Amino acid sequence: MQDQQRVWLWNIVFAAIVFAMGYSVYLASGKIDYTWRWDRVAPYIINTEPQEIAAPGDGTLELGSDGKSLQLVLDSGDDPFIVTEYSTMVAAEGDLIFEGDIIATLDDWQTGPIIEGLIVTIEISLYSLVIALALGLLVGLMRISANPAVRNLAILYIEVIRGTPLLVQIFIMYFFFGTVLDLERFTAGVIALSVFTAAYVAEIVRSGIQSIPVGQMEAARSLGMSYPKAMIYIILPQAFKRTLPPLAGQFINLIKDSSLVSVISITDLTKAGREVVSGSFAPFEVWFTVALLYLVLTSALSWAIQRLEKRLSASD
Amino acid sequence: MTNTPEKIIIAEGVDKYYGKLHALKDVTTEVHRGEVVVIVGPSGSGKSTFLRTLNQLEKIQNGKLVVDGIDMYAKDTNINKLRENVGMVFQNFNLFPHKTALENVMLSPRIVAKRDKKEVEEHSRELMYKVGLAERMDNYPSQLSGGQMQRVAIARALAMRPDIMLFDEPTSALDPEMVGEVLDVMKGLAAEGMTMVVVTHEMGFAREVADRVLFMEDGALLVDEKPEAFFDNPSHPRLKQFLSKVL
Repeated sequence: MQDQQRVWLWNIVFAAIVFAMGYSVYLASGKIDYTWRWDRVAPYIINTEPQEIAAPGDGTLELGSDGKSLQLVLDSGDDPFIVTEYSTMVAAEGDLIFEGDIIATLDDWQTGPIIEGLIVTIEISLYSLVIALALGLLVGLMRISANPAVRNLAILYIEVIRGTPLLVQIFIMYFFFGTVLDLERFTAGVIALSVFTAAYVAEIVRSGIQSIPVGQMEAARSLGMSYPKAMIYIILPQAFKRTLPPLAGQFINLIKDSSLVSVISITDLTKAGREVVSGSFAPFEVWFTVALLYLVLTSALSWAIQRLEKRLSASD
Repeated sequence: MTNTPEKIIIAEGVDKYYGKLHALKDVTTEVHRGEVVVIVGPSGSGKSTFLRTLNQLEKIQNGKLVVDGIDMYAKDTNINKLRENVGMVFQNFNLFPHKTALENVMLSPRIVAKRDKKEVEEHSRELMYKVGLAERMDNYPSQLSGGQMQRVAIARALAMRPDIMLFDEPTSALDPEMVGEVLDVMKGLAAEGMTMVVVTHEMGFAREVADRVLFMEDGALLVDEKPEAFFDNPSHPRLKQFLSKVL
């Protein structure tokens, strides 16, 4: 009972410390001449403003044959510009319209640049995760191969990649390999991240495999299994379970490292944040929002991996 | 099969080195089909190493090994194929921890021998019943006692329908009260006529079950006798010394 009370006490201490830190940040922000305008960030996340539908050229506005759609008959004689989806008509039937005039507005929720950036970050991370896992597994297996040529290739790869900064690798991948192989920036970014993460995954895979007792491989081989079969059915499933926690950490790093691809002008979450800062003049709010979104992504991933770990622990 | 089926294992002048250490010195012996051969000796004598050369978990540097009619070091020998006919039971069981007892038994017949699933399952259940673990089939190894794990390991090796069973100190890692249950299963196997090579410290088992007992020391095979002569009338001075310590 006393233990229980003590746990409560420490939980309260924890809450108090977090609150105190939050409050001091709040106080500190009051010391500087900065007006917090969180409302400015919102449209960059979800834009609820009505969209304006502008005329592509000069012409006359008519109602369509169904009585609902709008038809702009163009003076140039091109096919008429037809608007089927709109909420409010701004111009009236028969009006003379000039290029750029607003014909109608459409009430629709639109994803703002921050959400677009978030989606790009998720895409880059997912592609890189899958490629890094496959490549890392391959390099990890090469790393423990009995063949010195294969093994040394793996060691060379791991050492080169781990010994150079990711930022520099991204530049080399984009400016050198991107030019030589004619890669798009998105592809170059994904490859750079995959290649970088795979080197770490390879080491995790190696240590995972080596943590499985030798007897497991011997038992499998003594039953007539070939080396690949023993790996697939016996060693890797066990190693996978053991490597899940470090792999989770590596993939969380991957999500965070993906912010570096913004340097080659991929509009990921970080780049979107930079752009929104210059448009909204609310840098503090934007960067806190961006940080929160990264945190949501990484938390979701570590939650998913924890679930997987629990499911795999049935045999423990 | 060019060899007579009588000699199921032939070892001729087997030499094995670990770096500079001469682990097996010119070991020559034979095992006939249906024979139970027990190898004893002090630790580090090379008895486990010799056993492990019989399914090539250890490679030899010199000599000849013919197992189940197949020359192990001939160019066209498929070692995986040979191992299907040579079951092995380890000191530390080496059960697959991520699979249930029954799955442990069924795995190799399914993925290596590619036998029919229904037939394999039936056979595996029979084997589990035979080793007295009909009730523990769906348990994971972590839920079994040492003796139970070792019996599952025996069933797993038997599932491939081997011609030869190798036992590498099968009771050395067990609590004393569990040794009996494992030895009973092994005695049952011997009574059925299984060819067995057993490395063990259980002298009682050797005396009771073995057709021949081998004594190894320092990588060399020193004595090869029937159990009566081996235990009651030891000829070799080193064996006398060994027996006086263990009996």
